Amino acid sequence: MALVILRLLGWRLLVAIPTVLAVSLLVFIVLRLIPTDPAAMSLPPGATAEDLDRLRTEMGLDLPIASQYLIWLGDLATGQFGTSIFFRRPVADLVAAALPNTLELVISGLVLGVSFGMALGMVLFALRGGMAAQMLDLAGSAIMAIPEFLWGLLLIIVLGVSIPLLPFFGRLDPGLATPDRITGSLMLDAVLTGNIQVLGSALRHMALPAMALAMGLVPLVMRVLRASLLDVAQEDYIRMARLRGLSESRILLRHALRNAVLPTVSLIGVQAGFMFGGTLLIEVIFGYPGLGNLMVDAVRNQDLPVIQTVALVYCVLVLALNAAVEVLYLTINPRLRST
Amino acid sequence: MSVIHRLMHPRIIIGGGIVALFALAALLAPVLPLRDPASQALLYSLLPPAWAPGGNPAYLLGTDSLGRDVLAHLVYGARTALYVAVLAATGAMLLGTTLALLAGYFGGWIDWLVARAVDTWMSFPPVVLALILLVGFGAGINNVVLAIIIVDWTRFARVIRSEVIVIRRRDYIAAARLSGFSHLRTLVSEVLPATLPLILTLFSLEMGIAVIVEATLSFVGLSVESNVPAWGVMIADARVYIYQTPWGVMLPVLAIFSLVLAFNLLGDGLRAALDPKLRQRGGVAP
Repeated sequence: MALVILRLLGWRLLVAIPTVLAVSLLVFIVLRLIPTDPAAMSLPPGATAEDLDRLRTEMGLDLPIASQYLIWLGDLATGQFGTSIFFRRPVADLVAAALPNTLELVISGLVLGVSFGMALGMVLFALRGGMAAQMLDLAGSAIMAIPEFLWGLLLIIVLGVSIPLLPFFGRLDPGLATPDRITGSLMLDAVLTGNIQVLGSALRHMALPAMALAMGLVPLVMRVLRASLLDVAQEDYIRMARLRGLSESRILLRHALRNAVLPTVSLIGVQAGFMFGGTLLIEVIFGYPGLGNLMVDAVRNQDLPVIQTVALVYCVLVLALNAAVEVLYLTINPRLRST
Repeated sequence: MSVIHRLMHPRIIIGGGIVALFALAALLAPVLPLRDPASQALLYSLLPPAWAPGGNPAYLLGTDSLGRDVLAHLVYGARTALYVAVLAATGAMLLGTTLALLAGYFGGWIDWLVARAVDTWMSFPPVVLALILLVGFGAGINNVVLAIIIVDWTRFARVIRSEVIVIRRRDYIAAARLSGFSHLRTLVSEVLPATLPLILTLFSLEMGIAVIVEATLSFVGLSVESNVPAWGVMIADARVYIYQTPWGVMLPVLAIFSLVLAFNLLGDGLRAALDPKLRQRGGVAP
């Protein structure tokens, strides 16, 4: 089993390399279309034409496009991500600070979205054919018509402003000091240092953004699980279980769900790109210091080194989530386990 | 059942009806009895809708922070949303369908190329790609249209390609070729019509997606020029005053919600009505 997973991961890595290269080329070409000169933007006002020329040579902007691309790739491969034009800090530091926050948000959103989606999918299946199921299905369509960041705003209005239950800005209550950086993940560090106060505050700040992110996932998971439960329900072994006199809930939980859950797992892989895309504006709305906020700031300020790097980080994240989903699929799919 | 009869699906009627209402309002905006969306009345800023406490009957849906009429803004914002939706969805459809037809029908290197391109696009959050494209092109509504086309052609290509691969193996395609049809004629007059129901469905869903993307990008300030009303801009402006009045955010959200839901209902309905495979199953696949 471990060997199969290792082989799969090795294969994924091999496939990921050309994909990352293709994305890097795409990003590079698009960003070269930009009308402004990155060298001119990095200079303080009052710089002379000679300064500009010197910096252009320094930044390699006088080289042919192809060499510029190869130099950039070489820098990436050796871990040199450059310096942000706007923040005037190394891009690697900015990403290292933002990445754990985005990962925490995505994982929280996934956990929330998948658990609620699966619960509702089972309810939908149990109520199949009835009025209530149709209403739930229609509610699913309605929820899907609102993009995640607008859910964020609606949640802020309802649970942040009208009934001020939960905080909706930043990562922690003002005045709380962040615990010592051990893993970089705020929640994990709070647990490791035993700082209950920070953990509680971080969880409360996470609630609304994670809910907003989960909103896009819940109806999808619900529908896919319902559909695959309906398919599985036609199988002979379910009829057998029913003939053996097992209760409906036992059949659902012990027999049907195990097989029906597979399409739901692969759905998460398909949705990986949209999940990370969803975090982007949610982070902006909740003032959440993750990659999305960094990206939008960089876009507004045409901060090319940051834009390039964060775009590639997103690509790697999506590929990694895809690989993780495949491993999960492999471990729970009995048909693939023996091969 | 005739096609007309099948199109009388409740989802199609409701979805199509709402879309028609929005389209009508957007087209007729200049002749409707609306205030000028740009005219400011600072004395009447941040009014709630007329029915809410503190509302002013002269401003049916209230005013924004500069005292501009929200109803007029919403109606003119629908023009922006539908302009982007129609152009971007049409462009994505044309590009994606053409590539899918060529890839699925001919196979070989062109199929390989399209499939790899789709994989590359899928390994990337669409919003991030759209943002990068707008950095490259510069902000502006027509660049938003272009960005959506470049980002979303894969939605058409992916689905239609696999459909074409199935269709091309059918006997009537072989028959068309045997009776001397050229490849182009076979593609256009035999393969394309078979994928039309799918294309129509995807087109409707894509218009909804384009509305969302336009709202997202104008929210970030990358879409329209500052004097053009857009729902995303309204939301971004009103967000600052969310403590004084939630209406400024709620109303454009409601507009986006209704229009996108209408496009989705229309798409689901078309799929249920036109796709022979789904007609028996009764369910709507995600």
